[in-house]
Amino acid sequence: MTTVLEVRELVKEFPGVKALQGVNIDVLEGEVHCLLGPNGAGKSTLIKCISGVHEPTSGEILFMGEPLPVGDPAASLARGVATIYQELDLVEDLTVAESIFLAHEPRRGPLLDFDRMHRDTTALLTRLGHESISPRTKVRALRPAAQQIVSIARALSVDVRLLIMDEPSAILDEGEIETLFEVVRRLTADGVGVVYISHRLDEIRRIGNRVTVLADGRTTASGIPSTTPTEELVELMVGHKVDQLYPERPVGGDEVLLDVRDLRRLPAVRGVSLQVHAGEVLGLGGLVGSGRTELLRLVYGLDLPDEGEVWLDGKRLPARPAAAISAGLGLAPEDRKSQALVLDWSSAKNVSLASLGRFTRPLISIRDERETTREQLRVLNTVPDDPDRVVRLLSGGNQQKVVLARWLLRGCRVLLLDEPTRGVDVATKAELYRIIRDLAKSGVGILVVSSELEELVGICSRILVMREGEIVAEVDGKTASERELLRHAVAPTDSPDLAEEVV
Amino acid sequence: MTTIAMGRLKQLEVQEYALAIVVVLIFAVGAILEPDTFPTWDNVRNMLTQASVVGVLAIGLTFVIATAGIDLSVGSMVAAAGVFGGIMLGDEGTSTLVFIASAVLFATGLGTINAVAVAYGRVVPFIATLAMFSIGKGIALLLNDKLPVSLLDLNGGSFGDPKVGSLLWFGNGRILGIPVSVYVFLAVTVAGWVLLNRTRYGRFVVAVGGNREAARIAGVPVRRIIFSVYVLSGILAGVATVLLCARLGSASPVSGNLYELDAIGAVVIGGTSLAGGRASIVGTFLGVLTFALIFSLMTQMNLSTEVQQVTKGAIVLGAVLLQRPEARY
Repeated sequence: MTTVLEVRELVKEFPGVKALQGVNIDVLEGEVHCLLGPNGAGKSTLIKCISGVHEPTSGEILFMGEPLPVGDPAASLARGVATIYQELDLVEDLTVAESIFLAHEPRRGPLLDFDRMHRDTTALLTRLGHESISPRTKVRALRPAAQQIVSIARALSVDVRLLIMDEPSAILDEGEIETLFEVVRRLTADGVGVVYISHRLDEIRRIGNRVTVLADGRTTASGIPSTTPTEELVELMVGHKVDQLYPERPVGGDEVLLDVRDLRRLPAVRGVSLQVHAGEVLGLGGLVGSGRTELLRLVYGLDLPDEGEVWLDGKRLPARPAAAISAGLGLAPEDRKSQALVLDWSSAKNVSLASLGRFTRPLISIRDERETTREQLRVLNTVPDDPDRVVRLLSGGNQQKVVLARWLLRGCRVLLLDEPTRGVDVATKAELYRIIRDLAKSGVGILVVSSELEELVGICSRILVMREGEIVAEVDGKTASERELLRHAVAPTDSPDLAEEVV
Repeated sequence: MTTIAMGRLKQLEVQEYALAIVVVLIFAVGAILEPDTFPTWDNVRNMLTQASVVGVLAIGLTFVIATAGIDLSVGSMVAAAGVFGGIMLGDEGTSTLVFIASAVLFATGLGTINAVAVAYGRVVPFIATLAMFSIGKGIALLLNDKLPVSLLDLNGGSFGDPKVGSLLWFGNGRILGIPVSVYVFLAVTVAGWVLLNRTRYGRFVVAVGGNREAARIAGVPVRRIIFSVYVLSGILAGVATVLLCARLGSASPVSGNLYELDAIGAVVIGGTSLAGGRASIVGTFLGVLTFALIFSLMTQMNLSTEVQQVTKGAIVLGAVLLQRPEARY
């Protein structure tokens, strides 16, 4: 087989930071080459060097045996190197077709050839198995998962030889991931080389041929088989062993903290009742789009319900976040950067935002604020625990810890966690699980939404499954299996055949 | 990459130091170019007095801009509130208190209309306050048939020797040789600094500008905060009105013209981000001083107001370009 991409001793330095310090990787035609590594290991920098966004400091990038022009994204794209970035980079006000052909629109004379654009878009979406997305829909109107599909279609709109995918599955649910894998398999059958970045080891086993592991800007293993045992991979990534990913499972008490009664906001949430007990971790599983995030927003008072009530500690909550917080709720939302953090602020200010009252006497005591938040960041093992550090510069896992520190400082009765470990490396995941367990042990009720079934099965006392805005099943955490959750999530429980097709 | 290098020393602090150096440099340049007139106590006193009106407006605008908003109507509010205060005095009005109260209340009222439109009517701040810019100018002309109102009656018909506490004292009086209006400007600045940096309210204001959704999820009453900054801007426009009218001894329907641009310019070169989330009262204060020094110097060098206008625009543009190295396309 031909080598599509060969990277030799790649070094990339930013002022004050050595992001890459000698990286080697080779990608063959028709293979899925997985790139593993903790947050901050340099994965993003590496793919930006390959796609021409960054100019490497030294080292070689050979594409089809020839040096790839560096620092020239257009040239890389023209040779067939397409990249799908972690953060969706679509213009929300354009239509699906316009987004896919942005900057290489088909034209008839000086005018745009919309007919061809729409035809080709439909063809691409059909190839991806998502012909239901209309080429004329505005990107803004699509859910993140569908936007991702548009991103992929955009990458495919040029003749790709090498497709780089940066955590494409992070915002997809199981069914959509399988569709994605189907597309990847078809592409590799055509001889396309794929670089696939993911934190989810199960995916790497399902789709990957070989694995390259990055840690601290170096390749600690290059091109090893994707069947390499988990412990070995984790050790390569973090440099030491992670004893145990999931801590012991907390058992809830009898006391009901949060009582949600027939909450409804059409079309996403169609009558949901649930109770969160003191000391339990209640999981909320289901496909992306099943209404889980929308449910959390209703509980927290971010959206007004059509019907239904939320009770906390025997008191009814008005639908306002400030009221929910003073009653003892906290929310760590799905998208940390856009929904939880003021990125230009220090950790200290982000942590204290919900608890400023306790530092006010009558003016805010900056010293007390810094000391207290530093203490909180230390407890969570945040790196760095410097309260003056701008949160934009922290890795995803540490940003999540800053969000958790905010609610730890505030002291919540019930904590709502939406995808708490998205985009977080394995070692930090283990830490977050331990934090969640400790919180539950201290009597806090935790409601956690996750699209990672393994995670729900690993940490939850109980698991509820949502489908199309309703809760369709309750499963005991101890006996739950990923397969069972998935079956509930995708289809009526009495027709398991459909589930088989998806899995 | 500057942000990485400056992980700890925040961009704002750097900018504040840089601007302080700029202020000193301009003063030094002025002292060299016009050694006889520029570095004199009289000139400094003059500059500060003139700067205090725009300075008070700029402090209010710092709060508005911190929420990622804008208030284009401050100059018009000054004109309208001044004339309103003047006609409230009546024919033989001699009460300073009536003038101050009615001017401040009127400006606050106009600011509140902005606040309602932006916070509850969800009108884009630029449009809401652009409308008020026009409304304020119109009101100022309508109230007294396009004529200015003389306020000299408050001081026995002349500028001479204003009594402590009388209106003209605020514009022309001195304490320990320093003009009263400068004390007012300094007091507003210090209060603004404390409010922005040392109170929960100030944190909330910047949080709303930095990330509105995140602020809401953290429990910040976003709409009330947005409402409040436009009211605050109105109140301070009222204070600026008093300082201006007290200095001039009259309320003109065409006063306050282009003050919004001077104030916004000062805020922006002070490092407050128009995108919200980053605000500096110290920066605004230094920005006001920078402008005051440059124009005083240019006036003394007999450069025309047209040249000054061009310079003003160029300074704002240059400052913004320097501020945002990471925003290159």
